[in-house]
This record gives sequence, structure tokens and C-alpha cells, in this order.
Amino acid sequence: MSAEAQAPRALNGQAPDVFTPGGWVPMREYGEEEVDFLIVGTGAGGGTLACKLAEAGFSVVAMDAGAYWRPLEDFASDEHEQGKLYWNDDRIVDGDNPLKLGANNSGKAVGGSTVHYMMVSLRFRPEWFKSRSKLGYGVDWPLDWREMWTYYREVEEALSISGPVTYPWGPKRPRYPYRAHPLNGPARYLVEGAEKLGIQWTETPIATLSAPRGKAHPCVYRGFCMAGCSTNAKQSALNTWLPRALSAGAEIRDLAMAGRIESREGRVTGVHYRREGEWRFQKAKNVVVAGYAVETPRLLLNSASPECPDGLANSSGLVGKNLMVHLNQSVFGRTQDDARFYKAPPSLAVSEHWNYEDAGKDYHGGWCYMPPGPLAASWARLVAGKGLWGQDLLDEMHRYNNAVGLKMVGEVLPYERNQVTLTDQADEYGLPVPRITFSYGENEQAMIRHALGFMDQALDVVGITDRWQNPDETAHLLGTARMGSDPATSVVDADCRSWDIPNLWICDGSVFPTSGGVNPSLTIQAIACRTGDRIAELARRGEL
Amino acid sequence: MPGLPQPSDKAARLIAGGASLVASSVLADAGIEHYRGSFENRAMVLPLAGSALSILTDTRLALGARASGGTGALAMSVHAANVAIGAAGLGFHVYNILKQPGGFTFGNVFYHAPIAAPAALMVAGTLGATALALGKGASRLGPVPLASGRSLAGFAAFALAGTSAEAAVFHFRGAYHNPFMWVPVVVPPIAALALGKAAVTGTVGRITNPALTATAVLGFAGAAFHAYGVSRNMGGWRNWRQNLIVGPPIPAPPSFTGIAIAGLGALLLMRRFARG
Amino acid sequence: MADPYPTYDVLAKRDSASWDDTTRAVVDRRLSLKVPEGVLSDTQLATLRMVKARVCPDPEGRPPTTTLAMVVQRIEEDSTEGFRHHELPRTSDAWRRGLDAIEAEAQLRFGSPFADLDGGQADAVLRSIEDGDVRAPEWESLPPSTFWTWRVIPDLVSCHWSQPSLWSAMGFGGPASPRGYVRIAENRRDPWEALEERSTSPTGWPRHHVR
Repeated sequence: MSAEAQAPRALNGQAPDVFTPGGWVPMREYGEEEVDFLIVGTGAGGGTLACKLAEAGFSVVAMDAGAYWRPLEDFASDEHEQGKLYWNDDRIVDGDNPLKLGANNSGKAVGGSTVHYMMVSLRFRPEWFKSRSKLGYGVDWPLDWREMWTYYREVEEALSISGPVTYPWGPKRPRYPYRAHPLNGPARYLVEGAEKLGIQWTETPIATLSAPRGKAHPCVYRGFCMAGCSTNAKQSALNTWLPRALSAGAEIRDLAMAGRIESREGRVTGVHYRREGEWRFQKAKNVVVAGYAVETPRLLLNSASPECPDGLANSSGLVGKNLMVHLNQSVFGRTQDDARFYKAPPSLAVSEHWNYEDAGKDYHGGWCYMPPGPLAASWARLVAGKGLWGQDLLDEMHRYNNAVGLKMVGEVLPYERNQVTLTDQADEYGLPVPRITFSYGENEQAMIRHALGFMDQALDVVGITDRWQNPDETAHLLGTARMGSDPATSVVDADCRSWDIPNLWICDGSVFPTSGGVNPSLTIQAIACRTGDRIAELARRGEL
Repeated sequence: MPGLPQPSDKAARLIAGGASLVASSVLADAGIEHYRGSFENRAMVLPLAGSALSILTDTRLALGARASGGTGALAMSVHAANVAIGAAGLGFHVYNILKQPGGFTFGNVFYHAPIAAPAALMVAGTLGATALALGKGASRLGPVPLASGRSLAGFAAFALAGTSAEAAVFHFRGAYHNPFMWVPVVVPPIAALALGKAAVTGTVGRITNPALTATAVLGFAGAAFHAYGVSRNMGGWRNWRQNLIVGPPIPAPPSFTGIAIAGLGALLLMRRFARG
Repeated sequence: MADPYPTYDVLAKRDSASWDDTTRAVVDRRLSLKVPEGVLSDTQLATLRMVKARVCPDPEGRPPTTTLAMVVQRIEEDSTEGFRHHELPRTSDAWRRGLDAIEAEAQLRFGSPFADLDGGQADAVLRSIEDGDVRAPEWESLPPSTFWTWRVIPDLVSCHWSQPSLWSAMGFGGPASPRGYVRIAENRRDPWEALEERSTSPTGWPRHHVR
């Protein structure tokens, strides 16, 4: 990690201007005075909510453990160097299927993992919000899909999502703000395969610009999306919600690691955090935890007090439980064509067929599939995962430009045994290292079998040979502080407010009761938008 | 006085000038676009050759050179060839779109062979041939009467409408992210309607001339806007090898100017015809 | 298999619009990296050098890599990557224990230091670790196949394929900013992309690669 990034940048009344090399924008500072809202985490949940709350007139401080980058000058075209964007702190993984974290599903930067996300912006299938009552599995959300439809729209407009003119699945939705991107080679194989199998496909709604927007450039198809976007085409919290939050008067504290939430007499009073080498305390009338599905329960569990010996907001015992990921298995093979999947964002085409089709499944839940586009080192790790090394690996790598594949995003059911707990080992901040326990259930195994078989067929029909399956990848982290309608079986209510502590809120992927078969960032942001509106409404009614 | 234009050549020169501009737009635009397409099909050089020859003959005429027998026949065959190349190009472009995965979709229309672009070469050829015929003092081009100017006015109106439709499709691809992107889908159709009305009725309405002049101006302004658009892409002009190709096409808008100028030539013919 | 892109060198694009200053600095630093001293014992370093050579050989006819130095640096910094298998110690500890165990395994099987084994013997030792079929008592505190799958392979492979020589040999475009790509469909290639020697499919012009 570059040394200059280790000193906070958002200081002295200014924050980095993400659109200008070396540039600054003015930032209001609150010092240690009590603010209306202190938000821990600035990703899809926290960054979005910071914007909404600041624009609603609240005083907001949003802190992030990561650095405040200016993409145009700080992001190299290099997978290894860009490891600086991931949450690389020590975490212990166990269970039957120990999760790969870090680059795979986490971010440590202002903007969170949206700084390097794949930008796939799919809406939930409406029935998933009531999957227990309508589809017979999982649990119901306390949210109504029609309301979510309006918040999805708000996010799509805020991010200028590039998407198809009409969307083939689900209830009618408005046209995406920007047009879809041209399809790269791997996406065109997906399209041909889907047409041959007689299922629908579409251009993926994706949060990278297909035309200029303000100071952000349109996508140049450089393909380094997972290593961070050096052009600002990627519409992340860093270059959408947070600039808005700053101009509405929010303060953002980079390189500020929250360690413990202070609570007294059933209310939280502020957060102990570490910045510039020392522990400090920020007072707040409300605290929002938005650290994603590992750091959120970790902070809540580490904030245990004599009043709350099992951690904050944990009277249900569910903080840290029901950890979900997405199945991210893939099939790869070889084409005679020059396919070169290093070009353009991966995932430019998608089929949600198996999200909306329930017949013919021997499992619950849905999945979609898209073409992946691993760069050199990621591809080498995938190929090595087949057991290749030495000259065999080198030889297989020579065929990189002839490789294509398909990758699923599949729903994982909530199981209490999949969870985040604390160990007795301490990390560099002196905080307990979390342990992440994960195992697939039979439902997941059945879905993987079906999806791998189907994707194999979808490659076979377009002439892809030497196919092989990568049976063990996951993506995203969800569900360790689920929302619900019953304090006994959930951690927060529909407004993301904790049942136990009225001025403690949780707003990120942890609140998902079920995972759905699509990438979660759009839904996290939509929930944050709704939460922002609800908080403003509650404040008007004097119910905060 | 040989070598100097006669008053009756004025309209012909204007139309030739318009044809030359349209051909220039085709040459530059197809040059960039077919380079993007790596000249995968050898026929992709044809519009470049055709438009280049067309520029030569049109510019000579526009500058007042007389089209004598031999060179006149040669020039006429260039224009005929361009109409044919344009027509074949239309077919190829439609075929190119249909053979893409997914077939006739918005995405393929946006990002594969631009469906209507080859028609611009047909316009250049037609305008060039018209100018040539008028320059020779002919009153007809094949079976089409030229003297009244009405047929040319109708053709120019049609060409403006078509070009505007193309701009509408590609500005839709750009999500009309800049409000000025609406101008070429609003102004030229007004000019096209006025010109079309003139062609049908034989009388020129008051807004026809200003609308055509505005269209001619916006053609050049469009090129400037597109140059600004290129600069807004990552790396700006330093990354010209990418941005000149993927950015908004700088040579495309001046075809509006070319057609509008030809339309003004048609108005000249109509007025002269009305005076007898 | 012969290098399919013998005339392609990703570093030739260094001064073109495909690279920006940030990337140039990062890659320059990587290519000038020296193996940090005093991190590993001489035997451990010799063992790691051999492991690297067997698992991630340098491609023929390409400039040498600094993969070994990158891995030693990881060990020196005890770098974490955000997840650690519950049966493994931290990076630095895992590598040190693992290298000692590999050495012990070589001594036990062939009565010779691992670094002195011939290729086939070294591969046999490595294969036994991959398969978990080991004999040396040093493995008691380190499950061999977990160490192999979660530490050896990811670390070596990630560092090796961060090397421009490997990018060139696989025809990867390499750094791409501010200039990305124009022609992104299959069998379409920008002039600044690699052209495969055997290739007949990418048609059109230009037929060579240029910076």
C-alpha cells in the first residue's frame, strides 16, 4: 500500500475531489460535538444513507476504515497493486466451505466495496420480498416490493445505470437512464447460447457510464473493474453519493476504524474509533452501523456491555447469524475464436431465466448467470485451482485469449449455523479477529448441480470445448443482522432501526433476511434510500 | 467568357458545394468507422474511394469549372457508382446487424454497422449528379425534371429527415445526456417540413430559408460539439486513437450542412423558375 | 507449448496511452524489486527458490521475473489478504514452517536438500504435499494440502502473474488506462493488442501490433 494513503486526507475542512487529480472540495467538520447521525461505513449502505440524511438536513459524520482515493491518480492498471482496495485484515474462516473474503467480497476504502464492485445492478424479483409466503422458503421481508420499485428507480437514476431499453423479466420498470453497453466477445457467447436454448437474455443493467455524466468519463472498456475504475466511469458510492453528501454538509472521516459503540441506559451515545494512531470518541444522537455482513456484527458483538452482555441489539441472539453469500460457481471452456475476456466490464449480458422460472427445480431459490472476465492473476489462480502447476499451468495460461465462461449468482438460504463470531486473537487495532463459519446446505448443492449443468449446456451449444467446472466460488456477504417484523426473530425493523436500541440503526447487506439470486448492491442502496426517507419522516413526527 | 461561371450556374455551384460537403462527411466518417471495423470486408474501402472521387468532381464544379464532355461523363459515372455503393452498403449494414447474436436489437443497431449511414453516400451521389446536370444546362436528370427545383427540394427534405432520424437514434444511444443533443432532431425536421411543403406546393414559405440556414450552421456547430464530446472521454485528445473512434463522430454533423446548402440551391432554382 | 505471442511485449506499451504514470511507477517498482535479505534462512530461501521454479517457471525467452522477491516480501510483511484458513497460522509463520517441512520431506525421501533435487524429484515432493501424503513430522503443525491450496499456490501464482513477462506470454493486454479498448467483440483486436503467431482468425488491418 502506498505510504501517502496512510495519512487521512479528509481533514482541515476539505476532502479529496474524486474528479480532479490533486483536487479538493470543501467539507464541513463537526469536531467532537454531538452530531445527529454517526455512520460507520461509507459503502453502498452507509454512503447512500449519509447522502440522504445530509440532504434531509441532519448533521452527519460518516467514517470509514479505508482510505479516501482519487481514482484518476491513485488507481493503477494492476491487479496486485489494487489489492489496497480490499479488506485485507486478518479474518479466520472455517466450516465445511470456508469462505474466501478479501478481494472476493469486501472493500476497505471510502466508498466501500462499491469502489471495486462489478456494478451489476439487478432488481430483486418481487416475490423474493415474501419468499416464505409466496415461494415457500426462507423468511419474508418486512418490505413491500412496490415501494422498493420506487427506491430502485431512485438509485438507478442516481447512478445513471446503463441498461436495456426494455427488460424481459418481472413487472414493468421504467427505461434505464443510460443505454446499454456494446457486448464483448464473452457476452455474445452468452447471447447465442441463450437464443439456442430458447431462454431470454438481456444486456445487463450496469453502473458504468455509457455516456459522459458531469465530470465522469464514459467507460473505455479497460476491463480492470474489479481492481477499481481509474476513469470514474464506475458509479460507486465514492463518486456519486458521497460528493452529494459532502455538498449537503456531511463530514467524512477516512482511515477511521470503529472499535466499540458506547451505550448507556438502553441508548447508544457514540463510537470509539481509531484515527491517526489514537483512539477517539465521537458523540452522536444516533449511530448507524454500515460495515457489511462481517464488520457490522463484529462491531455490535464487540460493543457488549454489562447491560448488553451478548452484544448490542442482540436480544434475539441473531447478530452474526444467518450469514449468506451468493453461489458464484462457473463453467469455463475453450473457443477457436479470439475471445479475450480482459476487455470491457465482465457481465455485460445476463440471463435471469432461472430467477423467474420455478418449474423443473429440485431446490428453492433462483440464480442468474453472466460471463466472467478474469484478468491475468485472477485467471491464473482459477486455472491453478484445477490442480495445474509448473509447465502445465504455463501452457494452459497460453490459451487465455481462447477461454470463455459463464458464472452464476445464486441464492443461498439463511442458516443460523453460518455465522460471524469473535475469536480471542487481537488484530492490529487490538480488536478481536472475527471468525466466519460457512457451510453449504443440501439446497445449495442442488442449485449448484443444476446451474453448472445448465451453464455447461449453454457453452456446449455455442461450440465451446474442453469445458471444466469451478465448483467452489462465492460472492457477496449478507444477512448477519436481518430485518423483520418480529423482534424475536430479527435484529432490525423495516426501517433498519434496531429493535433493542431505538437510536441504533443498521444499514447494509447485513439486514437482508434472504439473499435473492442477484448481486445485492442495488438493493442495499435502495434500502438505504428508503431508510433515509423513513428517518426524515420519523423525525418530522418526533419519533426519533 | 469561358472558365467563368454563368449566372445560371449559381444554383448548380451551390448544390455541388453541398454534395462535396456530404461526400467529405462520408469520406471521414466511413474512414473512421471502417477502420474501427478493421476493413474486415474488402468492400469497405469502396465508399472511401467513391466519396473521394466525388469530392474532386463536386469541388471542381463548385469552384466554377465547366463540365466538358469527357470529364462530365466520367463525373456522372462517379455519382452513379456512389448511389450504387450506398445502396449496396445499406444492404450490407442491415445484413451485418441481423447476423449479430440477438439479431435486430437496439444494442446491435447502436453498436454495429450504422444502418442508415450508407444512404449519405447515395445523397452525395444524387446531389453531385444533379449539380452536374444543371451545370451542363440540362433540364432533366434521367426522367426527373430539374428546372423547377421542386424535385431537388423534395429530395433534400427527405435526406434531411433521414439524417435527423439517424441523429435521433445515435443521440438516444447517448441518452441525450447533453440538452444540445436535441437540436439536430428538432431543427432539421422543421427545415425538412418547410422544404417538403415547398416541393409539393411550388411556393417557398417564409421559414424555409431561415430553417435551412440554421440547419447548415448547426451542422458545423455539431462537429464542434462532437469534438468537445471526444475531449470528455477518458484521456481526452491525448487518447485520440481510442476517443476519435468511440467518441461522438466529428465528421458526421456536417452532412446536415451539405444537404441544407443543396436545399438552398433548390430554393434558388425555384425562385428562378418562378421568375420564368 | 511454445509461447504463442513471441513478438508481443506488453512493456513496449509503457510509454503509450495504455499506461499512466501511476501504473508506470507500480510496475517499475515491481521489476526492480530485490529479494529482501534476512527474512528467511539460506536454506529456506533456497527451498522457496526451487518451489517457485517448479510451480511457477519463468517463460522461455522472456525477461526474468521478480516473483521470488514478491513472495519473500509478503513473508517479510506478514501480509494478510482478508481471510485465513482456520488450520493455518498467519502468512509469515505458515511459509516458514512450510519451507522447513518441505526441506525435511526432501531429506526424508531423497536424503538431499530440496534445492539440490532434480526437477522430477522436487515435483514428487511437491505432489506429496498437494496430496497430503507426507512423512516428515514437521507437517504435524501444518496440514500440507491446506497449506498448498490456501498459501503456496495463491501466493506464488498471484505474484507470478503480476509480472509483465507472464502477461506478454499469455497475450494479456496489460495495463489499460487512460486508453482502454475499442474493438471488444470476439476476433476483433485493437492495434495495441497482442497478435497470436498461429492466428488466422483476426482479420483486417493493421495486421501487426503497434504501440
